[in-house]
Amino acid sequence: MKISAWCKPMIAVFGVLSFVVVAHAADRLMLTGSSTIAPLALEIGKRFEQQNPGVQVDVQSGGSSRGVADARSGLADIGEVSRALNPDEHDLVAHTIAMDGVGLILHSNNPVKSLSDDQIRAIYIGRITNWKEVGGKDARITVVNKAEGRSTLELFLQHFKLKNSQIKAQAVIGENQQGIKTVAGNPGAIGYVSIGSAEFEEKQGTPIKLLPMNGVAATVENVRAGRFPLSRPLNLVTKGVPPALAKRFIDFARSRRVNDLIEAQFFVPVER
Amino acid sequence: MSDRAFTHAIWGAALLVACTFFWLLGDLIWRGVPHLSWQFFISAPSNAGRAGGIAPILVSTLLILAVAMAAAIPLGLGAAVWLAEYAQHKVALGRAVRLSLDVLAGVPSIVFGLFGNAFFSMFLGLGFSILSGGLTLACMILPIFIRTSEAGLSSIGADWRQSAAALGMTRATALWHILLRAAAPSIVAGFILGMGRATAETAALIFTSGYVDRMPGSLSDSGRSLAVHIYDLSMNVTGGDAAAYASALVLVLLIVAINSSAFALSDRWMTRRITLS
Repeated sequence: MKISAWCKPMIAVFGVLSFVVVAHAADRLMLTGSSTIAPLALEIGKRFEQQNPGVQVDVQSGGSSRGVADARSGLADIGEVSRALNPDEHDLVAHTIAMDGVGLILHSNNPVKSLSDDQIRAIYIGRITNWKEVGGKDARITVVNKAEGRSTLELFLQHFKLKNSQIKAQAVIGENQQGIKTVAGNPGAIGYVSIGSAEFEEKQGTPIKLLPMNGVAATVENVRAGRFPLSRPLNLVTKGVPPALAKRFIDFARSRRVNDLIEAQFFVPVER
Repeated sequence: MSDRAFTHAIWGAALLVACTFFWLLGDLIWRGVPHLSWQFFISAPSNAGRAGGIAPILVSTLLILAVAMAAAIPLGLGAAVWLAEYAQHKVALGRAVRLSLDVLAGVPSIVFGLFGNAFFSMFLGLGFSILSGGLTLACMILPIFIRTSEAGLSSIGADWRQSAAALGMTRATALWHILLRAAAPSIVAGFILGMGRATAETAALIFTSGYVDRMPGSLSDSGRSLAVHIYDLSMNVTGGDAAAYASALVLVLLIVAINSSAFALSDRWMTRRITLS
């Protein structure tokens, strides 16, 4: 057997291994959690890195539950949680960086103009299964619900005083865009998604429409004014008082210097 | 059934499969090409991936795949050789290994993702890194790679081994110079199946190699793979569809490139089968 045949792969492996052992950036922040916040946190992180040379901000995704768990265990310096903290999460401190409204969406061909809270509740628990029962066409309702662990789900359940086990969903989805695409592709569907994203998609001609809630139109403007009933804070959470670097990052994320980034992700900057 | 109807059915099935593929490819090209440019390949993503390019993501993807290959190929070939050549005398153990590999091949990728997160990221302390992502992928592609390679080795007639022994070749020499090379088409097929699965993987990577879209500085950095990028752009980032299509097109091109180079390499290896030394 020729030695050289083995040599080349070995050298390659050692090359790879030596590449591994490279010193890390001195100051590294790790964020994990909500997939809604992740793209925003990523952009804020990039700007923060630019203004603070030598600092590295690593943003991971995975859902709010993960954000809470990782901030608690110390795996992440900061958790991304796209809802208000629950009573049993008082060991964590929430720092709100933006607001997001959650609105119900239908396919744009659906003639239904509005639904009361009771009707929505009845649709989601499967008591109403046909659109004609709420003034629409004779067509089955496809209920689109969010997956377990998603903050939008928790917000929705809380607002409509429902338990997830009561909901009879035909489709269970994860991210916002997936919700919009599911409803846009199914004329009988009803779902709930981030208002900013839905508003943008509606303007782009995606066949969806936002429903008003309690007579308040689902617009970013109404979320900003605090008029829309179904809205949630986008939080960065830390265990107790954050260490210096994490605090600097959170202060930066809460400052006016990132307003343009927040609006570019279709969220609403908080009043400062 | 008449022979004619049978022929039509066979042609129909083949055409339907081809049409589905070309429809998919056509859709990707139609919507992806307008967003594609040289700049797209060499610049970093901006505005959550809606603008800018995919340079760091391409680099991360290639590094993750390289780690997966470096781990899976030697381990997988070793296991396949053991199963095909050495396991005859350990029938029960061989059967148990084959069964567990077949079960592993059917396990959903998110399970590998959670395992990789628990084992490589947490237990071994690799964190969110290209290394833990690549090793997780290696675990995922090993079963399919081992079983295909083993099938290739087993299909070689016993007379080859007997002739090699008669010529005074050691078992290792016969394996390296004859059997592995004769089984090369199967090994390459297994490699391509595994690589295809690995390149398209998101669920196993989101918790292991992660979401960071910076240019990786080392294998211990977190790096976003192309598939994760496409998933995020199309399912999570509002207004990211154009960039998602362009990235998907790049992913398809990448898979085509990997597959053709695998074929080219195996051809070269096979033609050099008989050497005098």
